[in-house]
Amino acid sequence: MAEKLLKFVSVEQQMPVKRAAQKRLDDFNEVYAEFDHEGAAEQASRCSQCGVPFCHIHCPLGNNIPDWLRLTAEGRLEDAYEMATSTNNMPEICGRICPQDRLCEGNCVIEKDFNSVTIGSVEKYIADTAWDKGWVKPITPLVEQEQSVGIIGAGPAGLAAAEELRKAGFQVHIYDRHDRAGGLLVYGIPGFKLEKDVVGRRTGRLEQSGITFHLDFEIGRDASLADLREKHDAILVATGVYRARGLKVPGVGLSNIHEALDYLIASNKKSFGDSVPEFENGNLDAEGKDIVVIGGGDTAMDCVRTAVRQGAKSVKCVYRRDRDNMPGSVREVQNAEEEGVEFVWLSGPEAFVGDDKVEAVRAYKMRLGAPDSTGRQAPEPVPGSTYTMGCDLAILALGFEPEDLPALFGAPELRVTRWGTVTVDHQSMMSNLKGVFAAGDIVRGASLVVWAIRDGRDAAESIKKFLKEQKAVAA
Amino acid sequence: MNSFNEHVPGPIGLYNPADEHSSCGVGLVAALDGRPSREVVLRGIEALKAIWHRGAVDADGKTGDGAGILLEIPQEFFREHIKATGHEPSKGRIAVGMAFLPRVDLSAQETCRTIVETEILNFGYTIYGWRQVPVDVSVIGEKAEATRPEIEQIMIANSKGVDDETFERELYIIRRRIEAGVIASQVGDFYMCSLSSRSVIYKGLFLAEQLSIFYPDLLDDSYVSSYAIYHQRYSTNTFPQWWLAQPFRMLAHNGEINTIRGNVNWMKSHQIRMASIAFGDNSEDIKPVVPKGASDSAALDAVFEVMVRSGRDAPMVKTMLVPEAWSNKTSMPQAHRDMYAYTNSVMEPWDGPAALAATDGRWIIAGLDRNGLRPMRYTVTNDGFLIVGSESGMVVVDEEDVREKGALGPGQMVALDLHEGRFYHGNEIKDKLSAAQPFGEWVTDLSSIEELPDYKGEELASYKGDDLRRRQIAAGLSHEDLELILQPQVMTAKEAIGSMGDDTPLAVLSAQYRNLSHYFRQNFSQVTNPPIDSLREHRVMSLKTRFGNFANVLDEGHTQAGALVLDSPVLSNREWQALVKHFDDAAEVIDCTFEVSGGASALRDALNRIRREAEDAVREGRGHLFLTDQNISSERAPVPMILATGGLHTHLIENGLRTFTSLNVRSAECLDPHYFAVLIGAGATTVNAYLAQDAIADRQAKGLFGDFNFTECIVRACEAIDQGLLKILSKMGISVISSYRGGNNFEALGLSRALVAEFFPGMPTKISGIGLAGIQQKVLEQHGKAFFDGTCSLPIGGLYRYRRGSEVHAHDGQLIHLLQSAVGSDNYAKYLTYSRGLHNLPPVNLRDLLDFRRAEEGVPLEGVESITQLRKRFITPGMSLGALSKEAHETLAIAMNRIGAKSVSGEGGEDKSRYTPYENGDNANSPIKQVASGRFGVTAEYLNACEELEIKVAQGAKPGEGGQLPGFKVTDMIAKLRHSTPGVTLISPPPHHDIYSIEDLAQLIYDLKQINPRAKVCVKLVSSAGIGTIAAGVAKAHADVILISGHNGGTGASPQTSIKYAGTPWEIGLAEVNQVLTLNGLRHRVTLRTDGGIRTGRDVVIAAMLGAEEFGVGTASLVAMGCIMVRQCHSNTCPVGICTQDEALRKKFDGSAEKVVNLFSFIAEETREILAELGVKRLEDIIGRTELLHQVSRGADHLDDLDLNPLLVQVGGRGQKHICTMEERNPVPDTLDAQMIDDAQAVFSKGEKMQLTYSVQNTLRAIGTRFSSEITRTFGMTGLKPDHVTVRLRGAAGQSLGAFAVQGLKLEVAGDANDYVGKGLSGGTIVVRPSNRASFNSQDNTIIGNTVLYGATSGKLFAAGKAGERFAVRNSGATVVVEGCGANGCEYMTGGTAVILGGVGDNFGAGMTGGMAFIYDADGSFEEHVNNESVLVSRLDSAYWEEALLKHIEEHVAETHSRWGMTIMLNWEAKRSQFWQVVPKEMINRLEHPISDKAENIPLSA
Repeated sequence: MAEKLLKFVSVEQQMPVKRAAQKRLDDFNEVYAEFDHEGAAEQASRCSQCGVPFCHIHCPLGNNIPDWLRLTAEGRLEDAYEMATSTNNMPEICGRICPQDRLCEGNCVIEKDFNSVTIGSVEKYIADTAWDKGWVKPITPLVEQEQSVGIIGAGPAGLAAAEELRKAGFQVHIYDRHDRAGGLLVYGIPGFKLEKDVVGRRTGRLEQSGITFHLDFEIGRDASLADLREKHDAILVATGVYRARGLKVPGVGLSNIHEALDYLIASNKKSFGDSVPEFENGNLDAEGKDIVVIGGGDTAMDCVRTAVRQGAKSVKCVYRRDRDNMPGSVREVQNAEEEGVEFVWLSGPEAFVGDDKVEAVRAYKMRLGAPDSTGRQAPEPVPGSTYTMGCDLAILALGFEPEDLPALFGAPELRVTRWGTVTVDHQSMMSNLKGVFAAGDIVRGASLVVWAIRDGRDAAESIKKFLKEQKAVAA
Repeated sequence: MNSFNEHVPGPIGLYNPADEHSSCGVGLVAALDGRPSREVVLRGIEALKAIWHRGAVDADGKTGDGAGILLEIPQEFFREHIKATGHEPSKGRIAVGMAFLPRVDLSAQETCRTIVETEILNFGYTIYGWRQVPVDVSVIGEKAEATRPEIEQIMIANSKGVDDETFERELYIIRRRIEAGVIASQVGDFYMCSLSSRSVIYKGLFLAEQLSIFYPDLLDDSYVSSYAIYHQRYSTNTFPQWWLAQPFRMLAHNGEINTIRGNVNWMKSHQIRMASIAFGDNSEDIKPVVPKGASDSAALDAVFEVMVRSGRDAPMVKTMLVPEAWSNKTSMPQAHRDMYAYTNSVMEPWDGPAALAATDGRWIIAGLDRNGLRPMRYTVTNDGFLIVGSESGMVVVDEEDVREKGALGPGQMVALDLHEGRFYHGNEIKDKLSAAQPFGEWVTDLSSIEELPDYKGEELASYKGDDLRRRQIAAGLSHEDLELILQPQVMTAKEAIGSMGDDTPLAVLSAQYRNLSHYFRQNFSQVTNPPIDSLREHRVMSLKTRFGNFANVLDEGHTQAGALVLDSPVLSNREWQALVKHFDDAAEVIDCTFEVSGGASALRDALNRIRREAEDAVREGRGHLFLTDQNISSERAPVPMILATGGLHTHLIENGLRTFTSLNVRSAECLDPHYFAVLIGAGATTVNAYLAQDAIADRQAKGLFGDFNFTECIVRACEAIDQGLLKILSKMGISVISSYRGGNNFEALGLSRALVAEFFPGMPTKISGIGLAGIQQKVLEQHGKAFFDGTCSLPIGGLYRYRRGSEVHAHDGQLIHLLQSAVGSDNYAKYLTYSRGLHNLPPVNLRDLLDFRRAEEGVPLEGVESITQLRKRFITPGMSLGALSKEAHETLAIAMNRIGAKSVSGEGGEDKSRYTPYENGDNANSPIKQVASGRFGVTAEYLNACEELEIKVAQGAKPGEGGQLPGFKVTDMIAKLRHSTPGVTLISPPPHHDIYSIEDLAQLIYDLKQINPRAKVCVKLVSSAGIGTIAAGVAKAHADVILISGHNGGTGASPQTSIKYAGTPWEIGLAEVNQVLTLNGLRHRVTLRTDGGIRTGRDVVIAAMLGAEEFGVGTASLVAMGCIMVRQCHSNTCPVGICTQDEALRKKFDGSAEKVVNLFSFIAEETREILAELGVKRLEDIIGRTELLHQVSRGADHLDDLDLNPLLVQVGGRGQKHICTMEERNPVPDTLDAQMIDDAQAVFSKGEKMQLTYSVQNTLRAIGTRFSSEITRTFGMTGLKPDHVTVRLRGAAGQSLGAFAVQGLKLEVAGDANDYVGKGLSGGTIVVRPSNRASFNSQDNTIIGNTVLYGATSGKLFAAGKAGERFAVRNSGATVVVEGCGANGCEYMTGGTAVILGGVGDNFGAGMTGGMAFIYDADGSFEEHVNNESVLVSRLDSAYWEEALLKHIEEHVAETHSRWGMTIMLNWEAKRSQFWQVVPKEMINRLEHPISDKAENIPLSA
């Protein structure tokens, strides 16, 4: 076979060009350049076209990765886009922000020594090309349905569900408390990972497709859940989880200790040119300061890299475990280090020191104890290892928990778990309230964007089925 | 007619009597002057005594499979008898009827006599009376005696005084009426062996040599005849059936008719017109021409007879039924071509291995099939006899008396006219026949499709965009189909290739939409007949498709001017349209769609309508039917075209209309060659895959086919399908599409019995399955997806490679990791999670529908036999070093040796260093050595370094096909082991060229048991319908182990449709083999082994209950070593270093023997746990105990039935053991070597040189083989100097002379030798020359048989005379000089030198990739015979090579005293310019010396 693929034995892995670290610090633009056409095709051609494609298996969306890699290698980008978008509502976003090293690329079978196929970059290339070439068109459903669906939350889960429902011809309304649609995509994730117009063109397309966005709209304030249920034939709760997980150590109440999301939203809003008083008064601006970020996840990475761009004097990331055991993406750590972030591994905060505002962080050294039954090693403090590092602004990036939705929505009848996530039937994704579905982080707890998209799509399927049944009953 | 059936079990369990095969030895003796003599009879009897080894003996040790002789009626003998009873015989010939009558039931016997007499008298003839034929029952076995009929002769006077021809024809009608009468009166046990005024048949169930003892008539000195046709049968079954002994009325047949199903079907249609022309008022009496239940040979005989009785003579009938391959032979004279063109247009060829000896009373003929797959040697003596037989030497003739010795070539015939006393050689008889009629006039002006006015211009596409997409969805096509199947068809003009077998559910178990072709499994040849090599031997094959045949087989004289002939049944859109327009008023287009809202019987109604419309059209004279499913819409769904075609073809056949029409089919689903084959097999004349073509148009427009324009793309796609069709035909041994058409040469897997009976009669369907209602439901579901789902995107697929939400794959991603983690960490709990995970998948295999009947009380686990005991039953199946990396291959062997289990070497040899344990104690020597069709590295040494030899007859991934190791995988190491050249592609032929028939397999087993006197012999078969009877034959051939492989296994590359659609699950095959062996009383003689997807203890226990004693675990053991099912084995890019020869990739291998050992320990432990639950202590106690299994699911709701009961039937009594009880291997008789070894003690004890001398006969086979084993074991394969021991032999040596002979042994034969001389020659020297007293010219006569030097690796052969067919096939190192050879010489040769001092047959040097050949070409015909696809032919142009050639000829002359060789040398200057030098193209630049002394004459590169 005149095979264009299986080139991993002769072609080396090559990521798209990364901008020089110094250059990157000057702005909030993305770090990676785009593949050129040949580069994408060549990298895609490294795919082994496996009989059991582990990339596909380990993709929450079940993206047909080998198939669109093949199409890309063969230069059939329009087909590739069609293939990619058939399982994913926002491939260019997943291509940018998915932790591929833990999902598809991490399971690529040529990875053993050859370094995986650069799946994410190719995915991004395919979809960006589709936008550039005008292949991405607004949705025109074959038939218009009368039934409508209200979706609470314009994040990835909500948007994915909205698109799938709209394709089937339903009337879709999205409610979000922020002034822009996109949820964490737009306010949680910094521009150097995901430039804001990338999100904007997706939400814009949905608007052009006939989806109605109700922004600055807070359930519980502007309408109750009951109001929405009255108005729509089905509701999807896709609020995400926004309550920051706290840290209980002495001095945590000092000023200049902020939660990660507040810090990131401020920065992102500034990027849009909005006026953000808390930033402008210096509270949320890292410029010229010694910054300490507590946590080792992707949010912590976003914070440290935002801080270096704001012109911090120094940026430290303090994490309990070591490099091999951190939850954040390896690639992100590498990027951060290049940009001048200092990682303080195996350290835990003991206290924040200062009078009214934080001046230093006192920490102790940690070591990894015996592995538990799952093989994970729990960290434990090393006695007498306390030391102190200077700090003008501390950012807590320790994860997120659900807000109290029944209270917030004025809907005590909505059942939630003891962790605050919405209780759903996992087959139908319906909550205890008929016609009220839930998807994304608010069901599974803080997780990845890609899982949110998957949940949104699954919920849309269930909602379609539900609406069809309702219609049949009504008829 | 076959009234002995009551002794044969009818279909029981999976056994079906229709599956039986038989084969044998055959021959004739005749007086050249046509004068009857005693000598002829005596020589016939003598010949039968010399072919016992070609037959077989029943389990009772005495009952033979049958033998018989057909003789002229000795008029005097019977006249005397009549006189003795007091009558005076009248003038004219006495007719004699030889009858088998019921013996015990006297009233039935009387009924038969009454019927016989009544019919004779009704025709106006008178009866002399009955004669009880004397018999001596002392020589027959128990079974034969129990079923022995009363044997009597009835003698009839030609009282009407009609001429002989009329008398014979009326006797034929009388016999047919008698047969009908007996059937009508419901009497069993009656059979009329012969009823004729010319010939009589003595036959029965005894061994050949006992014929004349059983029938003392034959010893009577007054018993004379001018001819004797004799036959020794070897049947795969042992149910005694006296009537099935041969000869039949007119012929004796050695071989098998592969096209039998199609032939018999078409005969139903032919006979209607034919009978009325030839038999007028009696036409109803002779129908059906082929009686129900007739074997292939009996059917051929029946048709042969009716053609003769219709006025054709025997030579013409042979030409019509079993023609020579002609359409690709440019060298054939025009008159012969015209004759074959005519016969081809009246009758579909009866194809298959066939050596025929036949007579019509006046003519005696002997002939071969088009491929020359059976041996037929003949001798003409100076004292006036013609002696023909499967072997030379069956009738001992002093060489002084020999006028001529010859061998028949492919399609050839010799004939003797007894009236004229004239003998005709092959070309003489063809000249005579072709001149007898103006065939040329009858077949002129056949037109081709290119001449039609509407053919011109570009190819056409019909549907585009969303319309196309929607139609594709409705047809169940996917993205995968287009990318993985369709794309390569265009790009490579070949079928797509895949790897690692099939792990998806059987269609009947799948929840997905699977088109109907998925339920059809292709037939393939194994053991009883060979597949054809569609790549290297395509000259004998043809896809030519005719529109407008002669209306019946007796039609002569009507001209066929303008009849249309296509090169292939595969039509493009343009061709379809051109045909519809061309036939115009004669064409009827029939819509094959049905209304979506048509209710429950919509599909059935549509099928009825199609039949009705078609029948009306044909009766109104529209002779070309065009069926299409194009007319779909949101309201109309497609009728599966396979159903429409099968239903219509069957309907037209039954009504005698099929030969009046063509049946052209257009199908949306049709995409791969398999689908085409199913349609043609169901009866389609032509097939057009219009939607596939439209998809190609769409892709071509997108630029996916490079620079090919649309028309070129279609030509390439059609070429790919043509090649695929040829391959599908060839794998079941069929050469010509017209004999395949309408034959339903498939096995249904999961089709309802009722559906098959109606639409595809005759096709086996063992487990039933989906019926019309289910099909309608699935079609409508799929139709709904296309027309009622909002999205219009093609599904991703997932049938070949896993995709989420699509087809299940047993090798699930998570489970692969789980298993690897379990064996890597020695964690049994994890293994159990894996095993449970597998079990919880939706059903994939038949066994997933079965469960155990657990015992009330188990036994404690400690009481169950140990892991160590159980592990000995495990095998890692043959995976060749070449496919696998050295590391992976050795790891398996080491692991298996550590646990006392067995690994199979696979094809391709093993390095000698592995034969002794390594320093660390690891033993990498595979205990089982494989012998496959390529015979790579199969030397005497290799064969002696093992405990067991496995003959791989077929492999699960692609039964009936050859293999290929691409050049880039042939590293230095691989090349050394395989005796070939690095970088040069190696090909294994589809058949073993020494197994074309069951008695050939017996011979190979015999040879192997000689070369290794201790090893057991295993025969590897692939599960398919009828495998049980094949296995019985294999058991009777003295195999010790039979391996039943499932369809789903296999590493390495195979065509995708072979992986998916050939072979059946082992569950069915294993159960059938166990049942049939038990029925035959053969089960205790063989060990049964199975493989194909066995992964867990549960699989092992189920296999045991179905009859297996040993278990092969292939893919799972690869997974344990790190295989992650990338399924790119054919690409040499295996990322885990298992299936690759690439240095860098091999470094990535991180498998270990420990991991493999862990896997087998886990499987054994799980097996123990199940045994404990079942309350059984030893695995042995559940083998064959199907009562411990029960079906727990009948499959999905839409199926008619899914009935696994046939698998679970117990054919023996309860409690009967189903295990092999042989302590040692099954013994085979000694040959001359026993004496030789005895006589040569001084060689082995003291290393002395010796010379031995013996007289030999053809019954002494494999001379020198056992002796070579002794040499190898004592001195090593090269331990003695050449010619250390010389053995002189006088006479005709039996088959396999000098097989695997090693250095130090020299065999010199004065006389001749049979097939397989020097098979696997491993360094020995063989010389065969005529005796000193012979007066004939050696170069004009045949001295050695077929398939000489097959797989030879080194050594020398000199033969002063011609060799038979397939000379030096797969020779990889021997040097040979002969004086001529038959067809397919030097095929697949990869090394060594062949010097041929005379003419060669067709297709010389096909697939030759190494070595060199020199041919002396006196008549300048060589260039017509050579197949120069892979070789370069040039004149001698290098002093070096000329010198080398001369040396070979000198040595030949010195060894054989050949006068011909001497003549050439003496006239060298004149003769040298008539030599050709043949060198493989790939070798040109690799030779140690260039082929020309002038640099400019050397081609740059291949």
